[in-house]
Amino acid sequence: MSENKSKGLSRRSFIKGAAATAGAAMGSGAITGFPTIWAQASKDITITHVGSIYTTNPTVAEQANKDLGFTIQMQTLDNTTLINRLLTQPETVDVADFGNTSMGYFKNKGILMPIPVSEYKYWDQTVPLFTQGTYPDGNPYSMQGYAPIKSQFWVDQSAQEYSLTPTDWLVGIPVMYNADTLGVRPDLVPRPVTSWKELFSSDFAGKVALQDGVGVGVPDAAVALEAAGLMTYGDKGNMTREEIDKTIEILIVMKRDGHFRSFWTNFDQSVQLMASGEVVLQSMFAPAVTEVRTRGINCQYLPLEEGSRGWYIFQSAMAHLDGGDKLRRDCVMEYMNWCNSGFNGVYFSRQGFYSSVPDVIKPLMTENDFGYWYEGKPATAEIIDPFGKVMEQAGAVRDGGSLWDRMGNVGIWNTLMDEDRYLVRRWQDFMAA
Amino acid sequence: MMSPRAASWLQATPFAIIMTGLVIVPLAMIFAVSFMDYGFAEIIPEFYLGNWTDIFRSDLAVATYATVLRQAFIVWGVTLLLGFTIAYYLIYHVRSNFWRAIFLAACAIPFWTSGPIRMISWVPLLGREGLVNQALMGLNLIDEPISWLLYSEFSVIVVYINMLTMAMVGPIANSMAKISPAVVQAARDQGATEWQVITEVIIPLIKPGIAVGTIFIVTAVMGDGFLVRAMSGNQVNTPAVAIMNEINAFQFPPAAAKSVVLLVVVMAFVGVLLRLVDIRKELAR
Amino acid sequence: MLNRRPLSYYLLSTFFAAFLLFLYGPMICVYLLSFQGPEGGMSFPMRGFSLVWFETLFSAQGRGVGDLHNSFFRSIRLGLIVALLTMLIGVAAGMSFRRKYPGSNFVFYSAIASMVVPGIFVGFGISLTLRLLGLRPDWWYSGIGAQLTWSLPFAMLIMFIILGRLDKSYEEAATDLGASSAQRFQYVILPLILPGVIGIIMAGFTSSYEESARAGLNIGTGNTMPMELTGLLGAATTPVMFAVGTLTTLFMFSIVIATLLVSGSIAKRRQLRLTAH
Repeated sequence: MSENKSKGLSRRSFIKGAAATAGAAMGSGAITGFPTIWAQASKDITITHVGSIYTTNPTVAEQANKDLGFTIQMQTLDNTTLINRLLTQPETVDVADFGNTSMGYFKNKGILMPIPVSEYKYWDQTVPLFTQGTYPDGNPYSMQGYAPIKSQFWVDQSAQEYSLTPTDWLVGIPVMYNADTLGVRPDLVPRPVTSWKELFSSDFAGKVALQDGVGVGVPDAAVALEAAGLMTYGDKGNMTREEIDKTIEILIVMKRDGHFRSFWTNFDQSVQLMASGEVVLQSMFAPAVTEVRTRGINCQYLPLEEGSRGWYIFQSAMAHLDGGDKLRRDCVMEYMNWCNSGFNGVYFSRQGFYSSVPDVIKPLMTENDFGYWYEGKPATAEIIDPFGKVMEQAGAVRDGGSLWDRMGNVGIWNTLMDEDRYLVRRWQDFMAA
Repeated sequence: MMSPRAASWLQATPFAIIMTGLVIVPLAMIFAVSFMDYGFAEIIPEFYLGNWTDIFRSDLAVATYATVLRQAFIVWGVTLLLGFTIAYYLIYHVRSNFWRAIFLAACAIPFWTSGPIRMISWVPLLGREGLVNQALMGLNLIDEPISWLLYSEFSVIVVYINMLTMAMVGPIANSMAKISPAVVQAARDQGATEWQVITEVIIPLIKPGIAVGTIFIVTAVMGDGFLVRAMSGNQVNTPAVAIMNEINAFQFPPAAAKSVVLLVVVMAFVGVLLRLVDIRKELAR
Repeated sequence: MLNRRPLSYYLLSTFFAAFLLFLYGPMICVYLLSFQGPEGGMSFPMRGFSLVWFETLFSAQGRGVGDLHNSFFRSIRLGLIVALLTMLIGVAAGMSFRRKYPGSNFVFYSAIASMVVPGIFVGFGISLTLRLLGLRPDWWYSGIGAQLTWSLPFAMLIMFIILGRLDKSYEEAATDLGASSAQRFQYVILPLILPGVIGIIMAGFTSSYEESARAGLNIGTGNTMPMELTGLLGAATTPVMFAVGTLTTLFMFSIVIATLLVSGSIAKRRQLRLTAH
């Protein structure tokens, strides 16, 4: 990827003229797809996009650079560094991806640009999880944790507060989402597991793991505790101090009893724990389950009574784009539109994530692939990931079934709690126990 | 001709500028931030003593420092023994310079592999299906894999020792090399056994090396959070890990306060050590 | 010189061999697993034996590779510059400590402080300061600067050790013979401390190559190797990482051999020159 710095400022007058022409052409409806007529004018612009390993990768970058007239420069960062960068150096970034565990940080900060709904081409084809706050059948979903509707819209253009009802200003464009539950090694666990409460069953002492964060690990523990009847909560995704104290105390007792094998920090650790049999039941991300299976080890994703834990990733633009070079802002909008126009969506769908606009990517995937990944149909041929690795054989059905089987029963969403400050302190105590 | 003192100043200036600008200034900022309040990933610039009172009133500080001091002590003891033995071997028993260089290079090569790779490589070594367990089972010493080899305080300490022993070997070996062979020969001529030479001639003379090595070890162990988190499966909390946890949660003021405390503790330790063994006097003769 | 080796020699040799085995334990896993079969994962058992992960690494496409190529070159470039600067600045500073002068304590303790404070804080502190000054971090000043805060204290301590070993009588002899301080440095001190200086260059390079906490926020856009590797850990890692480990080891090993051969021949030539008189 090239590292050209933007030369836009020094050619501002020329580009302004070109942009005006482009604007006229756009108004006339001459533009249908990518690349647009801006290619000539925008070719000196470089857009910086930071994200996680799933949202920023060389394959997609290459395609983007082919399809678009300007240059996309991607940088893959771990989540903490990414958020830190957005909070302290937002001018160095144009586009960023992050998920529900970070949404709470962007209120009242003026870091993100409010995205007008009208500028996002695919809003009407976006699943209602984001557009309306309901499942496709119209039923509302669980509001525990940072549900999508809680941080999808700004109250107004000042981009300070989140609105619980749809407005014209988006906080971010939804890109991907999924629902996580417990993964299990059925070959090492003799009986069926149907509830989160099994996480704390003494049958699995010493062979259980949770994620080590307060955004995911603690909500998981809360769901399990409530299922086991040991605790009751108002909102497991947003606990009060008393709830936090009681939860931590129970967890400390279990830790001292040696109930937990480990707390994993990154994806790879969770895969290792399962694949090696160190752990037989753990909260894990959906692709981790798939990864374990590609190593020839039986690992299953369990539909549980209390529902799954949902998460999503938004793609946002930085506020500095609004006051700056208009051409750059237009390029950013074009890029973000491109990200949901198909190629990107197909790429990560084939790794197990759901696109926010399934209707857009459906025609671009094979019937076999779309049927397996989205519709819960048995595979008619081998399912191969974007790198050529065989994931599943013909006849296999995706764990948990179709998109709405899996996403239709979300019990809690990944979260950032209001009492985060207190929670982190108590979590420290837990770790030191 | 420049006066010697001016020459010293000039030589130290680039170093001093970098240290001041890039260390002292950020540290001053950290100190200032520790007195501020905080919200969601933001620092509120109002005077707030809460971070400090929390440290002194909670058990967390005691628990984390007890843990890390215990780890540092064990690691120091083992690396001292290992380091001394290896340095002694390399200086006094390996006669050819060529082989000494090869051995040292062999010891250095693992450190050229990137940190993240080394961290994840401990799992296939110490895990339930790892090489060590397989070896032990193959030798019929155990029936079932041992689980506490990994994701425990044991693995933390083993990995520290693996990574820090060379930090002890280096300074000790250099101190040993400084001992004039005539001194050792004189002791030999007087009938000293090898053990007596070690305890009565060598050890007293390598104290500066031991001191420098100890500084490396203690600062490394007390300042590290990555290794502890990775190797303990996030089940052990030390001051550095606690700081990292708070930084990852974007709660900078309490992390800043804890950092100041950590810095003071380690500096005090280094200061005491240097008072016992004055390295700098050795230089400015 | 004894011809027969004492028992202690054999005991210690065995001990050293055992230590090497311990030291290389995880590395052995890296080397073995880099030949993991295409179906295999990040730990044993080995599922087949193949070079597929090396191929993936070189083709720069595929799972687990990310942007390793570019980040590798960035790390090498950064490491070389940091090594050079560390050597120049560190050697000078180490030389300065041979005399007591006002402020020497400050320099010393600030270096110790830099070693102790967690890298994340130094990195964060620097990026905050830059922000207050309205500057944008970039690799060639803030990235390098942040890494120097880590490598320079090590250089200082290494200088302490090697200067402490220096016999002053050589310098006094040179002064008696009329050498200026520059000549004294070039012809007497430098050759004697050369192994230590090389050690500092190595330490500077290694510490830069490994370091991610301080550089992370100050490097601008473009990951270094450790940053890229950490980012990759967020998804399924593949034995490509182990292939990287094996290759870097081979690479470093050959550099070390080359250095030894070169310095060996320099030493030999010096011997010849001296004995030729």
